[in-house]
Amino acid sequence: MEKLIKLNVLGLVIKYAFKDLSRNFKKIFSIIVTLFISLFILSSILTLEDSLKKELNDNAKALLGGDLEIDYNRSQGNLDLVNRVKDIATLSQMVEFSTMISTLDRPNNQSLFTRIKTIDEQYPLYGSVTYEPEDAFNRIHQEDNTILVNENIFKSLKLRVDEKIKVQDQVFTVAGMVKTVPDVSGFVAFGEFALTGKQTLDLIKLNIGSFLNYEYKVRFNDGDDIETLRKKIQDIFKDDQKVILRYPENSASGIKRIINNFSQFLSLVSISAMLIAGIGIANTLLSFINQNNMSISVRKAVGFFSGDIKIIYYLQLLILLTTITIASFALSFLFVPIANIYISKGLGLSIQPLFSVINLFKVFTVGLLVLIIFSIPTINAIDRVKASNLFRNVFQNLQFYYSKKSILFSIILLCLLIILFTIKSANPSYSLIYFGSFFTCLLVFFLLSRTIIFLLKKLKVNSNIPFKVSIKNITQTKSITPITIMSLGLGVTLLLTLAMVGTNFKREIGKSIPEIAPDYFFVGIQQNEKEAFVQKVLGMEKDINLEVVPIITSGVSKINGKDPKTFIKPSNDSYWVIRSERRSSWSDIAPKDNPIIEGNWWDLMRPNQLQISLDAKVARDFGIKIGDIFTLNIYGKEIDGEVINFRDVDYRDLSINFAMLFNPQFAKNIPHEYLATAKFKDVNQFNEINMIDSFPSISIIKIADYLTKVTAILNQVFVAVTLISAITIIIGLIVISSAIIVQGKIKEFQNLVFKILGFSKKEIIYSSIIEFLIMFMSVISIAMLFAAIGSYFIIENIFELNWLFDFKSLILLGFIIGLITLFLIITTNLKFLSPKVYPLIRNQ
Amino acid sequence: MLTRQRTIILIIKYLIMSELLKLNQVNLTYQTGIDNIKVLKDIDLKTMKKETISFVGESGSGKTSLIMLIAGLEKVTSGQIFFRNQDITRLSEDEVSKIRRKNIGIIFQSFYLIPNYTAVENVALTLELNKFKDPQNEAKELLERFGLKHRLNNLPSQLSGGEQQRVAIARAIATKPELILADEPTGNLDSENSAMISEILFNYVKEEGSSLILVTHDEKLADKAQRKIEIKDGKID
Repeated sequence: MEKLIKLNVLGLVIKYAFKDLSRNFKKIFSIIVTLFISLFILSSILTLEDSLKKELNDNAKALLGGDLEIDYNRSQGNLDLVNRVKDIATLSQMVEFSTMISTLDRPNNQSLFTRIKTIDEQYPLYGSVTYEPEDAFNRIHQEDNTILVNENIFKSLKLRVDEKIKVQDQVFTVAGMVKTVPDVSGFVAFGEFALTGKQTLDLIKLNIGSFLNYEYKVRFNDGDDIETLRKKIQDIFKDDQKVILRYPENSASGIKRIINNFSQFLSLVSISAMLIAGIGIANTLLSFINQNNMSISVRKAVGFFSGDIKIIYYLQLLILLTTITIASFALSFLFVPIANIYISKGLGLSIQPLFSVINLFKVFTVGLLVLIIFSIPTINAIDRVKASNLFRNVFQNLQFYYSKKSILFSIILLCLLIILFTIKSANPSYSLIYFGSFFTCLLVFFLLSRTIIFLLKKLKVNSNIPFKVSIKNITQTKSITPITIMSLGLGVTLLLTLAMVGTNFKREIGKSIPEIAPDYFFVGIQQNEKEAFVQKVLGMEKDINLEVVPIITSGVSKINGKDPKTFIKPSNDSYWVIRSERRSSWSDIAPKDNPIIEGNWWDLMRPNQLQISLDAKVARDFGIKIGDIFTLNIYGKEIDGEVINFRDVDYRDLSINFAMLFNPQFAKNIPHEYLATAKFKDVNQFNEINMIDSFPSISIIKIADYLTKVTAILNQVFVAVTLISAITIIIGLIVISSAIIVQGKIKEFQNLVFKILGFSKKEIIYSSIIEFLIMFMSVISIAMLFAAIGSYFIIENIFELNWLFDFKSLILLGFIIGLITLFLIITTNLKFLSPKVYPLIRNQ
Repeated sequence: MLTRQRTIILIIKYLIMSELLKLNQVNLTYQTGIDNIKVLKDIDLKTMKKETISFVGESGSGKTSLIMLIAGLEKVTSGQIFFRNQDITRLSEDEVSKIRRKNIGIIFQSFYLIPNYTAVENVALTLELNKFKDPQNEAKELLERFGLKHRLNNLPSQLSGGEQQRVAIARAIATKPELILADEPTGNLDSENSAMISEILFNYVKEEGSSLILVTHDEKLADKAQRKIEIKDGKID
């Protein structure tokens, strides 16, 4: 693009780049701020992501609980095989299940649905457990009926050490409080949990509702070859279909998925910040070069090459970029400890800032690409500056200037930028969609500006002078209307999108329990308890909406005779359906909130054939068609079932929802338990403790408690989203200001001439307002449309929440943004309303 | 016979050697919309080294356009301009810049000093560009010679009109160019400052042996030049 400057001129060019930068520091302050904020966001996100991934990788063994995990899910498994592992490595057995724990002998006893992990003396094989008091951990192994509850249970039930509590109908002694466990990748990430000795298993009644899970953790002896041992263990279990072997590299897959999703969102926010900053920088630079128009002419007159002058400007940007990259990257290390406060609470991980040369290079490269892409058309405008202007005393305002070469160069750089952001992102398609949308917006706003100019040129202007002036300003040859509309449009779109994401979040958090959601879930109701359970609940309140459905567990062994894992990637949203055994049910009629969207309800003519009604999203993700065959493992027996319809299942309504429903004619003979939901008119009528006393093996989940937890997590996400949005909004406002400043500087001289010609300040202000209103009114309607689409995409796809179009809020937000922008315009113009005549006339 | 021939050859050679600038059928036309404005028409001109020339004429006659062409800041519509026997109309913008950098100093009516550079820095700019050994000191010495010792580190906005023009002249002559182009150098100055600038300029040309082409409305200034050329409607009268 540029001619290579000779080496001997290079020193001079560098010297002038430094000199000009130090002299023009104030004039390009907004470039510095914009660049700093956007690079800081990018640096923070990269550093945070890397720190989290390092923590997960470093502690992969601790998170898994061993060098290898043997998971038998609901059954104890083949102990002969397990014992063979003991010969070559250390083994720790643990069983997890969910049940109710409640206080005892208090006037108002309370209960909590808790995940209990029974552990042996070998636990933990890696990492450590932190607890209080000192002897608590030993007590659960040495004393029967002792339990170590997590901090939240301890505090919310106001427990004391040695206090008696009930686990189902068994009395346990609280040995202490467990603060952290190393293997957080499983159940403990978001729920209440407790640790007990392995003897507890014999005391507790376990059922489907207990969500039972048998695991064996393996630790290899020091010095043993990991690969050889892994191979040996794989050989031991090669014929066992029920076992799942897990390795440290697959640990914490749930947490990794959360991190990846959030990183994806943050990465889109950071590239928004970068691109928007790029536009701001282009505007400010154009304004800056316009101010230096005369100096550039003088340099050309004394013999500087145009290329050398451009390099002076590029060098100034490079110096700024280098300094700001280092500063923002260094400051991002302060951000990690702040983020860690939330992360340690939410995910149970403790992260340390991680320095990475690759990340530093990535931040610099992204900054460099954005700077070059957006400064090419501005700095190229230097070629249009003529030294002969100095003789004529007329300096025309410069415009963005593209040559064919520079367009090609910009496109190549842009592709590099897109590749840099898309490659290795959690969901590259999201990144590509984002870039596509961004440039579509840019194109639409450009076309809008041309349309406005075209239409206004056709308009017959009346005698209103300010109106005439404003139309002339918009439509004049070489007007900056396209730049202003594109900047304003993107800035406003960004503000509205983030604001709409924010309001949707706020609504989701503020929203009470969904209307059709029950108050309680009851799991683990045995066939012989069903009638008594129903009577007991109805006895507490007659006017109740009680739903009781059968429940069995089954695993998908094959789909159309093939391994189900060949149908879907582990990263897919619907992978959970085949990860382990799932609960399924059956129903005579289609559930009201699960409409059939393809196929028909049960074929009663085939009572001996297992028929399956499948969640439509799951079907889509697996690529299942009506008529496909699922081979299910039900209590050790493989049964083929035909998929005969798809249902639209919305799990967010918190009612009873299953991915798979079976035809009752076939399924009712399978041994099963029941799951119930209850919605009370007056929830206070329900006596939780009384119910636990009567049915100790039934687990009771209070929806309100669950929602409180979800709300707490959403609140943390909302805080993060709001903070990041607020920073990006600042960039958006800087961009809008920069667009105004580009106009303002141009208007400075115009206003002087108007002043000399006898225009009143009022008339100049009117013309500015009219000009703004014409542009803003056209921009806001399109920006609203883009913001609605953008926020829908973010809320529904990235955060998987319900998006709602709130027209009132949108109008209000648009109005507020309009007012702020108008305020910016008036204050900027006020500065230019009283230009200092002397320096302007003297061309200073 | 031989001696006479030799003498004639020597005279021709001398004339060619001492010829600094030659304009050959130079035309300049501006396009404004559908109209073409002929600014300069068939200009032929030769100037010798150390010669001083003034262009006079009414506003819009084409004086300034002519020195813009000589400086290589505008492209001719047709014709040739030879500077030291090199046709600058065939050169690229960068090649012309190189010639201008070393050989031509320009003085403008409105001074045009770089606003955020001090007086010394403005003068040192051309010296540094031409790789002088100690640009800062040379610039200082020159400014001191022009009576600006007390203004060395002042910004242009802190200088009077006369002072600004003296800095501008110092910048133009700092590299001792062979040709100085001055466009209305006293146009923005009062009579006292005008006289001072005029004296500085002509004294310098005399001392250093540079050529000077100036455009002016000031008859007194124009008369100081060895040749006074009037331009009327784009033609040399």
